Amino acid sequence: MAGSQDMFDAIVMADERFHGEGYQEGYEEGSSLGLIEGRQHGTFHGAKIGSEIGCYQGFAFAWRCLLHSCATEKDSKKMKVLESLIGMIQKFPFDDPTYDKLHEDLDRIRGKFKQLCSLLNVQPDFKISAEGSGLSF
Amino acid sequence: MKDSLVLLGRIPAHPDSRCWFLAWNPAGTLLASCGGDRSVRIWGREGDSWICKSVLCEGHQRTVRKVAWSPCGNYLASASFDATTCIWKKNQDDFECVTTLEGHENEVKSVAWAPSGNLLATCSRDKSVWVWEVDEEDEYECVSVLNSHTQDVKHVLWHPSQELLASASYDDTVKLYREEEDDWVCCATLEGHESTVWSLAFDPSGQRLASCSDDRTVRIWRQYLPGNEQGVACNGSDPSWKCICTLSGFHSRTIYDIAWCQLTGALATACGDDAIRVFEEDPGSDPQRPTFSLTAHLPQAHSQDVNCVAWNPKEQGLLASCSDDGELAFWKYQPSEGP
Repeated sequence: MAGSQDMFDAIVMADERFHGEGYQEGYEEGSSLGLIEGRQHGTFHGAKIGSEIGCYQGFAFAWRCLLHSCATEKDSKKMKVLESLIGMIQKFPFDDPTYDKLHEDLDRIRGKFKQLCSLLNVQPDFKISAEGSGLSF
Repeated sequence: MKDSLVLLGRIPAHPDSRCWFLAWNPAGTLLASCGGDRSVRIWGREGDSWICKSVLCEGHQRTVRKVAWSPCGNYLASASFDATTCIWKKNQDDFECVTTLEGHENEVKSVAWAPSGNLLATCSRDKSVWVWEVDEEDEYECVSVLNSHTQDVKHVLWHPSQELLASASYDDTVKLYREEEDDWVCCATLEGHESTVWSLAFDPSGQRLASCSDDRTVRIWRQYLPGNEQGVACNGSDPSWKCICTLSGFHSRTIYDIAWCQLTGALATACGDDAIRVFEEDPGSDPQRPTFSLTAHLPQAHSQDVNCVAWNPKEQGLLASCSDDGELAFWKYQPSEGP
């Protein structure tokens, strides 16, 4: 008797069961595809930010060497801003994408870089692209 | 109410173009106007009429959006869509461009001098606000680039007595900045407007800030210092700003400019419905919840959008306005004695 109950159950609930199984399979596949896509997205954007900040850092290091010898008051002001930029970049948590002040700090770094360019009287023309940067001063 | 605002005169200041902004010099004797024709004009009084004393037309390649006089009255700054800000030095009736400030990526929307005369602020469609320092040799140096706004920044304004900078943006907020250890930081964000904030004005005491917006309202904000007796919460040592009054239902279009008379406390607005309105605080209203009444409403003050209103800093009741129709108008505001 119990056996025939299960059999009817199986037929009646078949639609719902297949729906549920299908959903489960789809969800799992979607999750893993999502993870792959997310990873690619993160890699791309992370690289973009890293590239931009790396650019600023290289710029700052180069100028630090160039200004090293000069000792005028104007130059010491430039050095101060330079060191401030380098400090901000070095403090930036590159390995923590969940850092809550990520965008705020990035904007501060960009602002400091622009201020530095203004003081050095250099007009950067950055094209941060996937193929690599095309810098021109 | 219509009689409260009387037309004194009209001038085609920037013919075949828009007149974007007006600024009275600190002495109240000269009025600078700027426009879509890329020029800045200086107007002075001669008897009963206003005549053009100088034309500064070689400075910019595109529209000049705003002009601002230095507190000493010897310099004029002009902000342009060509992404530069020119500093002009006054030599009697002549003006000479002594510096051009570059750095913004696109249209500069506003410029303002700090009351100390040592600092200048500019803002742009590139979403940033720049603070510049000027030394005794007229050398300008960028001291900070602030990226706090998320959209086009429309206006910057300094507090009348504190070293505090305010900015208004297309991102619907007003932000305040102060200096902290050699750098400038955003110390407050005023949220409440539902659309672009176009302009700002501090009251004579500097305790209140008025903002006007595309959402057709004017909001009055009050500064609360830490430990205030009203119990308004503050973040550390930073003052808090709270919206204490909203003027809605008076304007039928975007409000492009607001001016708070430093002599009388009257508030004038420039609206996209071509009208000029004046508001006054109701006597005896609670300072924490003030109420303002409309004391003058002049529809068709201009034939197109009114872009700017400016109270003369020395002559009570003298108001200047300008419009997309290229005209400059002078008004006498005299609130009626009442029944």
